Amino acid sequence: MMRLNSVVNNGKQCESVLTACVSLFLLFYLGSMPLFAESDIKDGTNESEAAHSLIQNQETTNASVLPAADYKMSDEYGDISEEEIGETKIDIEEKLIADPLEPFNRAMYHFNDKLYYWVWKPAAQGYKFVVPEEVRGLFSNFYYNIKAPVRIVNNLLQGKPGYAAVELLRFLINSTMGVAGLRDCAKDCFDITGRDADFGQTLGKYGIGFGFYVVAPFLGPTSPRDGIGWLVDWTLRPTTYVGDPDEWFTPQSVGLYVHEKINQTSFYIGDYEILQDAAIDPYIAMRDVYVQYRRKLIER
Amino acid sequence: MKILYTGLILALLTVIIVIPDCVYAGVPLDTVKSNANDVIDILRDPKLKGDSGKKIKEQKIEAAADKLFDFVELSKRTLGINWNKFTPDQRKEFVGLFRNILRDAYIDKLTSYTDEKVSFVREVPLSENTVEVQSIAEIKRGNIPINYRVIKKGNEWKVYDVVVEGVSLVNNYRNQFREILGNNPPEKLLETLRNKVAKK
Repeated sequence: MMRLNSVVNNGKQCESVLTACVSLFLLFYLGSMPLFAESDIKDGTNESEAAHSLIQNQETTNASVLPAADYKMSDEYGDISEEEIGETKIDIEEKLIADPLEPFNRAMYHFNDKLYYWVWKPAAQGYKFVVPEEVRGLFSNFYYNIKAPVRIVNNLLQGKPGYAAVELLRFLINSTMGVAGLRDCAKDCFDITGRDADFGQTLGKYGIGFGFYVVAPFLGPTSPRDGIGWLVDWTLRPTTYVGDPDEWFTPQSVGLYVHEKINQTSFYIGDYEILQDAAIDPYIAMRDVYVQYRRKLIER
Repeated sequence: MKILYTGLILALLTVIIVIPDCVYAGVPLDTVKSNANDVIDILRDPKLKGDSGKKIKEQKIEAAADKLFDFVELSKRTLGINWNKFTPDQRKEFVGLFRNILRDAYIDKLTSYTDEKVSFVREVPLSENTVEVQSIAEIKRGNIPINYRVIKKGNEWKVYDVVVEGVSLVNNYRNQFREILGNNPPEKLLETLRNKVAKK
């Protein structure tokens, strides 16, 4: 403390030195602890960098085998090689999902699509009209906060006790200072951000694949793995036990879930329409978004 | 004074540790940033309001998008090896149609954006001539990671793929087109695209 004071007393120009010292300290201190989401993102990029350098190595070896004239194209509308566009057979197979139920899934896709335009969307629009944005924001915070057990348990199961602790801390702060989770005070007041986690993701981290693609009525794109994940997470949601603690699905727990979804949809009206509008085959577009998004969450 | 020197050395160390991130923010990031900011500036231009303004706005965005994206590269990577099944004329037509489909789908959403804050975070090399520029868009309900994959063509860096929340635009379309081209000739896909563009 004395030392710090003497530095401060040296005058204004030392202020930056002090800041530097503090930031250095923070850098080492925080860098060694898995507290914030950034460290996780970095993990992800390192992995992908490694993967890319692997691909790059492959590319260079392939390129040296190919005759130079075939590999390099002067005309931009000329032929291409697989290597040039970074597409190998392994790449393609990794990005696909088995879809043995396609006829059923397509039917369910159309069912959910109609459900969206006839039920969810008008409900969300009416709801949006009646309930002010601030209040919808409070609901959204509330539902996110109350699902903390899902994130705590799954962060633990994924071998991330640091994040489990942060999620617990966030839950405690938001449930008290954030008034029962209506405000995300942990983030707004203390800048503490957590890490979302679910059981489907946990299973994925353990090396379990999608299995195959399933479009569930009402719930949308999923797979046996993520479906089981959804059920396990459902048992971890405190709202599940609101009506009857012995029953998993009660009018109360399902009702709360429906409200959560309508509240959420009210912020994203129009996004589904864009996906539809932009797609050539919306069914495949949606399936691919599901696969890419879930895969990314597991790689992270 | 000794403490001051220690502090200075520490500060220098901090600079050495922290700076690589800043130094590395090189040409690809700057290019994407400035070209993307051009689009944002047009979106926010208060002079371009109302119905007449909207037309000019859309034209300006299109011009800015042509500067930002390399639609030929984007098309090649979307079609994958199927690109070679197309004749050069079909390839040219495909690039034009695909560009229009993307424009029609996203321009309405784009023009409704006015107050999103986008920060460009870092760039990660993907291969010898490709780089991923990572950015974060702050919206009301949280942050969305948006990554632009850029390729060096001559002296220019141009975007050939956009990855939002881990979902790559190119991969998404590639799977759709592969399914169609698995059972049909290129002409069939072009016809589907023509019909889609004409409907707008």
